[in-house]
Amino acid sequence: MACPTVQLIAFLEGLPILEIDSGALENIRAAQNPDGGWPYRRGGSWTEPTVYALLAHQAGLTTAPRSAETLAWLCAAQQPDGGWTPRPSVDQSTWVTALVALLPPETIGAARHARAVKWLLGVSGMESSPLLRLSVFLRDGKLPDAPDLNGWPWFPGTAAWVTPTCLGVLALKKCYWRQPSTDLRERIDQAQTFLLARRCADGGWNHGSARALGYNSDSYPETTGQALLALAGRDPAKLEAGFRLAQRFLREQRSAAGAAWLRLGLLAHQQLPADIPLATMPCRTLPDTALTFLAAAAEQGCNVFLE
Amino acid sequence: MQNGLTRRGFLIGCPLGAAAAGLAGCGRTAAARPRSPVDITRATAYSQDIYDTMRRVLASHKLNVRGRRVVLKPNLVEFEPGSVINTHPMLVHATLEAFRELGASVAIAEGPGHRRSTLDLADAAGYFQTIPGFEDIFTDLNLDEISRVRLARPVSRLRSLYLPHTVLASDLLVSMPKMKTHHWAGATLSMKNLFGIVPGGVYGWPKNVLHWAGIHQSIADLHTLFPNHFAIVDGIVGMDGNGPIQGQPKAAGVIVSGPDPVAVDATCCRIMQIEPARIDYLTLAGGLEGIAEENIRQIGEKLETVETRFELIMELRELRRTRA
Repeated sequence: MACPTVQLIAFLEGLPILEIDSGALENIRAAQNPDGGWPYRRGGSWTEPTVYALLAHQAGLTTAPRSAETLAWLCAAQQPDGGWTPRPSVDQSTWVTALVALLPPETIGAARHARAVKWLLGVSGMESSPLLRLSVFLRDGKLPDAPDLNGWPWFPGTAAWVTPTCLGVLALKKCYWRQPSTDLRERIDQAQTFLLARRCADGGWNHGSARALGYNSDSYPETTGQALLALAGRDPAKLEAGFRLAQRFLREQRSAAGAAWLRLGLLAHQQLPADIPLATMPCRTLPDTALTFLAAAAEQGCNVFLE
Repeated sequence: MQNGLTRRGFLIGCPLGAAAAGLAGCGRTAAARPRSPVDITRATAYSQDIYDTMRRVLASHKLNVRGRRVVLKPNLVEFEPGSVINTHPMLVHATLEAFRELGASVAIAEGPGHRRSTLDLADAAGYFQTIPGFEDIFTDLNLDEISRVRLARPVSRLRSLYLPHTVLASDLLVSMPKMKTHHWAGATLSMKNLFGIVPGGVYGWPKNVLHWAGIHQSIADLHTLFPNHFAIVDGIVGMDGNGPIQGQPKAAGVIVSGPDPVAVDATCCRIMQIEPARIDYLTLAGGLEGIAEENIRQIGEKLETVETRFELIMELRELRRTRA
């Protein structure tokens, strides 16, 4: 698996390929379970850390160890409906399907990948359900949020939230770039509209509840970075407050994952200031380590979320 | 993987507790109802005194935990060091020490509902600094090993839940919430704190399945899933107004504890001058009898001496308790 941009830069400049923190990649490799998957910290394998580990290897221009076991483990977590479960012992497809769909199709096989994308296109937050909208109309006398807001839930049968919607947008965008279609374009637009509608008053994003009972809620670093990344390509003038907030969050450094998402989000809009300090928070989970690695790779021109 | 031990098993040798054992169930009532013991202990500050205070609190309940696995489940919500959003780490440490002195094996576990970086959140809340070896005894319940548990008689729309092994395998689950108002549930206390047991790794952040299944009903269902649930509420400084995140610090100066979470939470409501009969999850889990003052045996401070008016946002004012 190779990242074309980095390969090209390395070729043109005669540099060794990707001089990002190879120690991080070693740590990721060392954390792999014998079944081929990765745990969050220790214990059994989960889909989310496994996908982040694979994406880190993709950015590092190398293949993951025990790749046959990894593939078998990952495929075992795909459900008959095409979606992915958080781990094989769970029998419900969830938000992690978007993460798996971020992988290059050849990683899991084009047919499996296509079924994951089909699952994503068929899932929406419950607030988009016509039946629910009708029941709200009958109860309140007015329709809830406009139907063009169409995000993804964490778990089917519940409302749409910011993180799964960001991951869904990123996954579908990669599919669209490979093979443009009206369905993909429309869903990406609807999900991005959802994200813009869920922005907090401070210009950033929290889990997806900008106001509760008339009170403004505060944004979080992780979700602000994710939303900016998912909104790459949108009018930057409309995201100015989000950029400023993300830059402030990045200086505060509260978590490794938060810092990584903020870097990825700001980089996607060329808004990462040069004087931002290096990440100082400890990486306490596999996703922390992998995301920090992925943000560093993005700073060197290889953003696996956008390529 | 439901644990076979019940609250009763811990209360052998404790006449009050034994009387309370097995009472908490959805709307169950008994012909001759034993009175649930609830201890109210004054504690005005998070100081070194709290270590001795927690020894006395546990002694008052005569818990038999020697050789047992005890899981302390604080409430971690936000990255706000020095604020009153999270259960204070010193109270958790004092409780951990007190249980260890009773011969228990003690772990700490939590699965925050909104923020994903649990260890960073615990660090910011002062847990690493206050509790030696914190990382070694802490489990992020959002990312723990899980098994599916079926609900025998659900009152919510839930039929089963994936739940973390750390909690399912515990002999005693000690819910340690902050005493706070809550803009959806009215008050967030030991029972609402069980939302933090539901794994975000499966259900997400927030754990929206619980909202869609009915917040109050889900709380009642979680309560029935954990009969080995003991409550210790951090009311030293709680939160009023627009809780559980954006409210104001409110000093109530108490630690409220007991083996019957319904009785403990009902007592906390009375301390906060909230009418417990208007908190749906309490009536769903305990029935009106379970929360009745005459069915609660108060230990320690008298209720009327510690009552503290917690301000309520406009939408919750109907919950205000008015004394006859």
